[in-house]
Amino acid sequence: MVRLIIEKELRDIFTSSKFLVTFGICSVLIILSFLIGARNHQVATAQYEASKRANDLQYEGVTDWTRVQEYKIFLPPQPLATLVNGVANDIGRTIEVRGRGELRSQDSRYGDDPIFALFRFLDLEFIFSIVLTLFAILFGYDLINGEKERGTLRLTFSNAIPRTGYIIAKFIGAFLALAVPLLVPILAGILILPAFGITLAGDDWLKLALIIGAGIITVGAFLALALFVSASTERSSTSFLVLLSLWIVMVMIVPRLSVVAADQIVTVPSVDEINSQKSRFMSQIWNEDRGRMNSYTPPKSQNVQEVMAGFNKFMQELADAREKKFNELSARLNEERTNRQAEQQMLAMLVSGVSPSALFTLAAGEINGTSLRMERAFLEQAKEYQRQYAAFMKEKTGMNTGGFSFVVRMVTDDDAAPPKPINIRELPQFAFTPLSAASGLGAYTGYTGVLAVYLLLFFAGAYRSFQRYDVR
Amino acid sequence: MEQQPLLEANGLTKRYEDGALAVNNVSFSVRPGEIYAMLGGNGAGKTTTINLFLNFLEPTSGEARIAGIASHADPLAAKKHVAFVSENVMLYTNFTAVQNLAYFVRLGGRTGYTTEDYRRVLLRVGLQEEAHHKKLKGFSKGMRQKCGIAIAILKDAPAILLDEPTSGLDPKSGYEFMQLLGSLRDEGKAILMSTHDIFRAKESADTIGIMRQGNLVMQQSRAALSGEDLERLYMEHMAGVTE
Repeated sequence: MVRLIIEKELRDIFTSSKFLVTFGICSVLIILSFLIGARNHQVATAQYEASKRANDLQYEGVTDWTRVQEYKIFLPPQPLATLVNGVANDIGRTIEVRGRGELRSQDSRYGDDPIFALFRFLDLEFIFSIVLTLFAILFGYDLINGEKERGTLRLTFSNAIPRTGYIIAKFIGAFLALAVPLLVPILAGILILPAFGITLAGDDWLKLALIIGAGIITVGAFLALALFVSASTERSSTSFLVLLSLWIVMVMIVPRLSVVAADQIVTVPSVDEINSQKSRFMSQIWNEDRGRMNSYTPPKSQNVQEVMAGFNKFMQELADAREKKFNELSARLNEERTNRQAEQQMLAMLVSGVSPSALFTLAAGEINGTSLRMERAFLEQAKEYQRQYAAFMKEKTGMNTGGFSFVVRMVTDDDAAPPKPINIRELPQFAFTPLSAASGLGAYTGYTGVLAVYLLLFFAGAYRSFQRYDVR
Repeated sequence: MEQQPLLEANGLTKRYEDGALAVNNVSFSVRPGEIYAMLGGNGAGKTTTINLFLNFLEPTSGEARIAGIASHADPLAAKKHVAFVSENVMLYTNFTAVQNLAYFVRLGGRTGYTTEDYRRVLLRVGLQEEAHHKKLKGFSKGMRQKCGIAIAILKDAPAILLDEPTSGLDPKSGYEFMQLLGSLRDEGKAILMSTHDIFRAKESADTIGIMRQGNLVMQQSRAALSGEDLERLYMEHMAGVTE
């Protein structure tokens, strides 16, 4: 009986104009998102390669490693980040490494091309959380009361049909019908990727499968909500209005409101405030050091190199002490900010958890590695690189990086051969390791688990309402 | 030996939550090969009685039995023995007549029918062959009623409930419908029909009951009514409504 009703439901939906419109829109949007994603990835890869080359080219002809004051590292584009953007376009893709000091990412995609920030890119996350959740409501708002309005519910229940089996079959039927306009274009989109030279690694496939899985549960939750409202109202026009209102609240308002509420409740000092504090502190310790520099007495020696070495040592000690103090303050301020930020983010995520669509966004970002963790991972890996860079430069120049020192170069007639240019490629290469699926699996499971609970709760509500539903 | 009734109302009563008494202590029975016509005006309680048989409503007291099974106690078992045709048969408009038949007949628990079986039954109920594979979108009420009765025939239940089945049908369709009903009675079906149509009721029913304000105010067999003017009797019983 359940199978029969599922088959009927599928046939009923597949032959409806609603399905044709949904299938058409989904196909266009999903395939377009893959095309745009693939094209963006191509462009981003070309930009990444060009930036790396330009970075190396600036040191062409340089003959002394001490001239290499800074070296830029770049966040390589991730194939799946173009399909599920997350914060990938918001965070800076470049970090200037000087060998010491704080690192800050800059040059975000949206910073470079603000027009894209205005309307954002069309990606799978948008399609699942906005378009497909809306379609789930369109598919489900009249599942029960529509049958009653059509008069078919009375005829159906004049037969020996258990209500439990009927509502399960209605849900499964609509769910499968909704899965077709979703999965067919996704499959087509996946086939497009190799044409753009994009190959997904094993971990990427797992991420993509898990993102689609979370998307399907999200769509299922909205469909179950639609079934619930349909089984709780007499008229399909009423259920449609109720569901549209709920959709606006859950998809459009709650995620934005959660951020605003968290911002109001937990105040996080701005980067400017922190930088201002750091600058003030730096000025203060500089003034102190300036006094020490004024009272510096060079060693009494005729040997210039010895004098310079003594001066450099003195300056280096000052720089080290200054950096130590500054780093301590900086670490404290950064930690305070990070803790407040974490508190704010946690609150925002808790509030946004009211919305299944927001939960999907969080789950997709976590598993794809394009959540808020992405920038942290980039900075962490950049810090590690900075250590390698500093060690390399120390080996090449004999000096610690990032401080102030004087270099005295003595040119004599004996130096007949011109100095050889440095090979910048000798520098350690920065290779960003994207966040693996495993690293986000815990958070993903949490968010998806809540989504599944929503699905079950909405379906339980639909089940309960339908048991008492007047089928006449 | 007299056959057991297939449809039976015993002191059937339905009072709604707002206190309105829709059906009041109604008792009657319909045996195999019998048509029972329930006459009455709007709001007399005819449709409520049918809804009680189908367990669309729970009785306040009394019971409605189908093939000996109280429908409120075991609705799924009871409904296996009954087919239903409503006043306005509504089917899936984006399905063809045959597709609708195939679905509702299987839903009724009957399998194994072939396309030829569907064709034969649709022809028997008077639906022209060219309409069999057309979507129901353009079907008239009469055509949909024919599909509805075809579903009831194919379900092959021993009892049939009809809720004002000829309402809105043109005279020819109404006549054909009653002929068909006669043939189903001859096959041994127990038929309970609610109707406004006194003349067709007198023509085809074996027993006629008149309902007024939830009460079964008169119940007579066709034989007992043979010399009576049913229209006069009906108006007399209905008079209380207009008084």
